Amino acid sequence: MSVKEAIKNVEAYVGERFPVEKMNYASMVQKKEVPVHRLSWGYYMGGLALFLFIVQVLTGLMLLFYYQPTVSDAHASVEYITEHVPGGALVRNIHSWASSMMIASVMIHLLTTFAMKAFARPREVTWITGVALLGITFAFGFTGYLLPWHQIAVNATKIGLQTIEEIGQYLPGELATWPRAIKETIQGEASVGQATLSRFFALHVIILPLSIAALLGIHLLSVQLHGMSAGVDEPPKRKEKFFPTFFLKDLKVWGVAFLVLFILGLCVPFESFFAYPLFSPFDPKGSTPDGIKPEWYFFWVYYPLELLPFWMIMLGQAALGAVLVATPWIFQNTNRRTLRLLAVAAGIYLLVMTLFGENIYHLFKG
Amino acid sequence: MIDVFLLIGLPYLALVTALVAGVWRWRNRRYSLSARSSQFLEDRQLLWGSAPWHIGIIIVLLGHIVAAAFPQIWAAILTVPGAVFAIETVGVAASLLAIVGLCTLVVRRLTSARLQAVTTNADLIVVALLLAQILLGLITATDFRYGSVWSTGTVVPYFWSIVTLHPEMSYVVDFPMLFKLHIVGGWLFILVLPFTRLIHLLAVPLTYLWRAPQLVVWNNARRRQHAVVATIKAESRRAFLKGSAAAAGATGLMALGVSEKLANFFKGPRPDPEAESELLKKKLERLQQTAQERQLELERQRNNYIFVARYGELSETKGKYFTDYAMAPGLAFRGKDGLPIVLSAKCTHLGCTVGSEVDGQGRVLCPCHISYFSIATGQPNDGAPAKLPLPPIGWALMDEAGKEVAARRPGQPLQGKVDAELFKKCGLYITKPVKSA
Repeated sequence: MSVKEAIKNVEAYVGERFPVEKMNYASMVQKKEVPVHRLSWGYYMGGLALFLFIVQVLTGLMLLFYYQPTVSDAHASVEYITEHVPGGALVRNIHSWASSMMIASVMIHLLTTFAMKAFARPREVTWITGVALLGITFAFGFTGYLLPWHQIAVNATKIGLQTIEEIGQYLPGELATWPRAIKETIQGEASVGQATLSRFFALHVIILPLSIAALLGIHLLSVQLHGMSAGVDEPPKRKEKFFPTFFLKDLKVWGVAFLVLFILGLCVPFESFFAYPLFSPFDPKGSTPDGIKPEWYFFWVYYPLELLPFWMIMLGQAALGAVLVATPWIFQNTNRRTLRLLAVAAGIYLLVMTLFGENIYHLFKG
Repeated sequence: MIDVFLLIGLPYLALVTALVAGVWRWRNRRYSLSARSSQFLEDRQLLWGSAPWHIGIIIVLLGHIVAAAFPQIWAAILTVPGAVFAIETVGVAASLLAIVGLCTLVVRRLTSARLQAVTTNADLIVVALLLAQILLGLITATDFRYGSVWSTGTVVPYFWSIVTLHPEMSYVVDFPMLFKLHIVGGWLFILVLPFTRLIHLLAVPLTYLWRAPQLVVWNNARRRQHAVVATIKAESRRAFLKGSAAAAGATGLMALGVSEKLANFFKGPRPDPEAESELLKKKLERLQQTAQERQLELERQRNNYIFVARYGELSETKGKYFTDYAMAPGLAFRGKDGLPIVLSAKCTHLGCTVGSEVDGQGRVLCPCHISYFSIATGQPNDGAPAKLPLPPIGWALMDEAGKEVAARRPGQPLQGKVDAELFKKCGLYITKPVKSA
């Protein structure tokens, strides 16, 4: 194959994923259609995640007006927001609730797009950027968790980062010291402290939002360029226009989501689900609180980690990551029926681990 | 004498006549209870006359009715700063609007032969009365300022004295003739109400506001077809207007609420001095805590020994926390042999701080994932999530003179000798770990 041919192939490949002739208002908005079938609800999950992200940006910007990212002031400033700033408790509570809802909706989004085979050619770019967005969303959750600098936040972060160091024991020779070096680079110092707080703050409010914006741009552009995936194997009986029909329905979902979010934010403090006092500031000499565990969206990996050997989980994680990234190629010839079964199985696993993880843990460990 | 007739006689004459004639007309001429619309004969000018006239007169009339019916509420509203100006301004504007509309209607009546054919003498009397009454009211409002205020103590009690059959004209008898004429005009309207098209005041088609539109058309096929199209158009317009109104209302309300909350959020709390000093105190405490941390860190970088506790303070059942050279927590106990036991308290599983209470088997518990560590060896129990022992920390016992009495560094044998008496005078220190080259 000559160089010319290779270039031509690359051109054809990119051209199929980013068709320039479709980059106009007419084909991206006016002509776009959404298939109507029994899995159509899946089409709303991505939009829902986008809406919750917008909520996060707005409430996050508001919190930024009062939050102070220093070891001595962080906890006091969060307390100040919650107890003194007018509407501060509501804004913070909505930020917490929306973070959980956003993670839930991206997880469902992943499963539904998988089940609908929305990753198939020419939508590989959409899928890959989506996987990256998922990772960023989890990173948002992990970095944001530390910022209030209370006892649970700091200790949970310590444990989370410690898992990186643990990998070292399985690596040979000089490599064994690398995970520790990586952990300390992320932490910025030997133990979780001011440097970590500064770094996590920078990640949470600047770096991750910028990367999510960039990736989201590509993700949404691809979605509009290629239109909605058919979703089911049989040809759709009915289609509706994306604009205005589907768009208005999407807005309706957003409206309902906001209503739910607002009522939750107003009535149910996010912290009410924790069994321990959240509001004692981090004390380096104090003991780690009893029964500490990560946020619910890490349960699916946390409880297996508690039950199984560490290397198994690490291998599983790596395999899962690889499968997710390579999904468009691994499953390119699988029919949607099989994909649906796989997605349902994964969904059941996630649901069971999230809801009953603790019971399962006690079943095996007494 | 004339006052007695105009302010007491006329009112009762008007009320009785209106009641009797009104009931008669209601019972016997039901279908005449209407405004006798002329919309069919002419509808262009009608819009520009009828709409301003009705909008204006309804606002003015509502003002009169509320003030008369609920004088206390009315007076309470007026105490709001600026309310008097607002109400007077709205009243004058509304009456001007009504005058413009009425004049348009008069011109319309007088310039169309079709309309003149259906115009009765009673209509002309009503128009003349209305025009005169509004002008009188307008002049009163501008010449004797703030009628909205003074009326509650004068005209309103007079009105109620008439209605409650205890006529008392002294409330109004000393007013200028101009205003008394306005009052008389009011009674005159009640008098002529049942005999003119004014009767439609009692047949207000309020259902018009929510009922489906009705189109009155000549009855033939072409017109019917036309009517269907027009109905569909009207219906969809109504639906659109209703939706828009709802959306605009909801958006407006939400924008109002959100902007109020937003403004307050950014304005921030304005705590009273006491709360403010409380906050400041808390902040200072946290700063001092942080400063203390930094102090510890510096100490650990500079000093070869860090004080942990007096030997006498050590216990076999409860460990004493301290901060080791890595700024991580450590625990110090007294062993069974009388020597100190100094361990890292950072769990080797995931870095939690282990507890300080020693259980019956000489173990401490890491609460995070349930690992028991023997304090004698640092080893975790079998099957614990933690696999590695808690590392020992080098320690030294020094007497007051700063001389090492006993010391043990990790991986090295005990230095010095065990002397319980001497130990009692000693302090326990941790020693700086030797950097491996």
